[in-house]
Amino acid sequence: MLLTPYRVLDLTDQRGMLAGQILADLGADVICVEPPEGSSARSVGPFAGDDPSPDRSLYWWAYARNKRGITCNLDHSDGQALIRQLAATADFVLESDPPGVMDARGLGYDALSAEDDNLIYASISAFGQTGPKATYAATDLILMAAGGPLILSGGAGDAPVRVSVPQAWFHASGEAASAAMIALYARRSIGRGQHVDISAQQSVAAASMSANLAASIGAAETARVAGGMAVGPFTGKLIWEAADGFISLTFLFGSGIGPFSRRLFEWMYDEGECTQEDRDLDWIGLGAEFISGQRPLSEWDRLLGVVGDFIIKRSRDELFTEAQARSLLIVPVTTVDEVADSEQFEARNFWREHEMPAWPDPVRFPGPFVQLSANQLEYRRRAPNLGEHNAEVYAELGLDAEDLAQLQERGVI
Amino acid sequence: MTTSSATALPSTPGIPTEGALAGVKVLDLMWVVAGPTATRAMADFGATVIRVESANRIETARGIGPFHNNEQGPDHSGLFGNMNINKLGLSLNLATSEAREVVFDLIKWCDVLSESFSPRAMRAWGMDYDSLREIKPDLIMLSTCLFGQAGPLSRVAGFGTMGSAIGGYIALAGNPGEAPIGPYSAYTDYLSPRFSLPTILAALDHRDRTGEGLYIDQAQAESSLHFMSTALLDYTINGRVPQLVGNADPDMAPHGCYRAAGDDDWVAIAVRNDADWANLCSAMGMGELTCDDRFADFGARKSNEDELNQLVSGWTAERGALELEYMLQAFGVPAHAVSNSAASAADPQMRHRGHFVRMEHPVHGDTAFEAAKGQMSETPPSYRSAAPSIGRDNDLVLRDILGYDDERIAQLAIADALT
Repeated sequence: MLLTPYRVLDLTDQRGMLAGQILADLGADVICVEPPEGSSARSVGPFAGDDPSPDRSLYWWAYARNKRGITCNLDHSDGQALIRQLAATADFVLESDPPGVMDARGLGYDALSAEDDNLIYASISAFGQTGPKATYAATDLILMAAGGPLILSGGAGDAPVRVSVPQAWFHASGEAASAAMIALYARRSIGRGQHVDISAQQSVAAASMSANLAASIGAAETARVAGGMAVGPFTGKLIWEAADGFISLTFLFGSGIGPFSRRLFEWMYDEGECTQEDRDLDWIGLGAEFISGQRPLSEWDRLLGVVGDFIIKRSRDELFTEAQARSLLIVPVTTVDEVADSEQFEARNFWREHEMPAWPDPVRFPGPFVQLSANQLEYRRRAPNLGEHNAEVYAELGLDAEDLAQLQERGVI
Repeated sequence: MTTSSATALPSTPGIPTEGALAGVKVLDLMWVVAGPTATRAMADFGATVIRVESANRIETARGIGPFHNNEQGPDHSGLFGNMNINKLGLSLNLATSEAREVVFDLIKWCDVLSESFSPRAMRAWGMDYDSLREIKPDLIMLSTCLFGQAGPLSRVAGFGTMGSAIGGYIALAGNPGEAPIGPYSAYTDYLSPRFSLPTILAALDHRDRTGEGLYIDQAQAESSLHFMSTALLDYTINGRVPQLVGNADPDMAPHGCYRAAGDDDWVAIAVRNDADWANLCSAMGMGELTCDDRFADFGARKSNEDELNQLVSGWTAERGALELEYMLQAFGVPAHAVSNSAASAADPQMRHRGHFVRMEHPVHGDTAFEAAKGQMSETPPSYRSAAPSIGRDNDLVLRDILGYDDERIAQLAIADALT
């Protein structure tokens, strides 16, 4: 696999586990380290069978895949010594504790790089390692608010609304995986590793799609539009009500989307639901006609109404099927159950199964995030049990069963 | 205007010689957001990225705001500017065979070819991976589109807004009993580069060790499911389908955006546990609430959530969002003003991080863009040139990189290949 030669020491919890997951899926040997009582990620729900025991956290199941698991008490000096030894065997160390915590343990970048200057050390934190908000208390909602995407989602005048599955730490983790890989590439030319400092606040800013730049370039704030987005003076409506639920239809003019809108109106005309005049509008240049005042803006609202009347009479299936035949920008607004049961993902053999010790049936996980012509991503290990790989990993440090028993007794592992 | 640096950096398109990825050559046939985000990160860290566009089919991002001073126009889009700084702009009319010959020459030149056409287009041009590896065996090629290169939906053309719909994200955001709202715009476009970029970099590292190239087929809808794995498992294992819940959280209350004094000002507050609750009560000057049975523990607060939210809103509505943020954080309660672009630009932490950078711009005098997200101690990013106008760097690419002479370039122009 692509990253087979590399080892990652993953000290993160639910704030950073996706970073090591991406590297693990690409083939790296990722050793995740939990405190002896178990990672806090094991208390993140939902839980299999709604039983909140540490071996049933679906979060742990999903984001500890392909990792080996060991226990180690990072607040114990002997535990710190073990981590220093393991870090010396690793190419990457990943951590997601609040700024300063790892330094206080003697496990910060400065301490570990002094022993191995090839080490790539990625720190994932809410606001970055330094700065006036570095010690702020943060959760997913707080970070989405701080980074810019939250204000953009919701109805005009209503409270902004978040995605109910927490996203912020995934953005930060993805950013960390990318930056760590850039550091790996750099290591060959500069001959040493480095410290990567990731701020979740900055990472989630990507989800504002540059709307967070508006004030800096003299533009108006982007209006919050339920089920759509503001495109200059226009409302681009994205979510439409069909007869039996909702669809997404991208409906706009211009050289990118205009041809699709033209084809939509051809269908509507065929069905007798729009005038020839509307069908034959200049769908490429229409925006310019509105902006120049040649055509009043109210015309756009009328066109939205014509389309809305057409959509609401038809089922999601009918709309999606015809969209594929006519090459239209229509897809159903799909719920999680429909995603899980989708023929498309099935046809691509996307899903992967693991047997989980705490669950009677095989569990089906989202599959490889990319398909490769060689060195495919493999689902080679389910998420580890607590301390499952203590013996084999610590054996590398020359520790035998008796040593481990002693360490366990003293609360080190 | 709020900026993190007083003077704008100069904009000087060229071939970078320094940076973590110096020497890496990328031919970028992608557009809008998902693809260009990944190649921008590579450009920031020193890769030479040639971005191919055509004036005959204006890149969609050029038509999406925010626009400089609210003026529309292909060189006015802050989105396009943000996605494409540090890249070289080459205009090619790929409908002509002459332009496609230039692409073939650039494929021989590059390390990484990235494209986000629908699966049919590249095959029709003889630019599918199997054909291209004949002329460049160690090519790394990324194809990224909504549904991937195969499968019943692989011919569905799509933007990230549609990925957000069919990938399950729109149905995850909204208020109870209302139409779904979804995250802002093209959500899966922000998720897919989180996976394509590490894969490209792993492929480069692997090629340098083994001499082997790689084809990467990314279905953005698939990559993006990794940001909602737990919801998928909750359905397949527990049979639960997420409902629209506004900002309610299964483990925290109060939890939401509360109206602050001002026009569209909000503060986000998340009470993780009873200690946070006690601190919030202290901050509100309502210490007696900690003894109130309606809110005594998480279960009670969740049962009386509407009442709870009204109570908190009543308190926040009279105070400024920033004031609330500072006060609540001083009490240890997770809180933050819900930042719009002006608040982001003024945010002391974003400024400390140098999140917004200014650069000279040939049309606007100066422009602003977001810095690279990751801060790296040894190989910082560099910001060398503003996003290209269409065809800005044709000469540099055709003459300096490909070594074409005047006659060849004139022939291309005559054949309408460079529009």
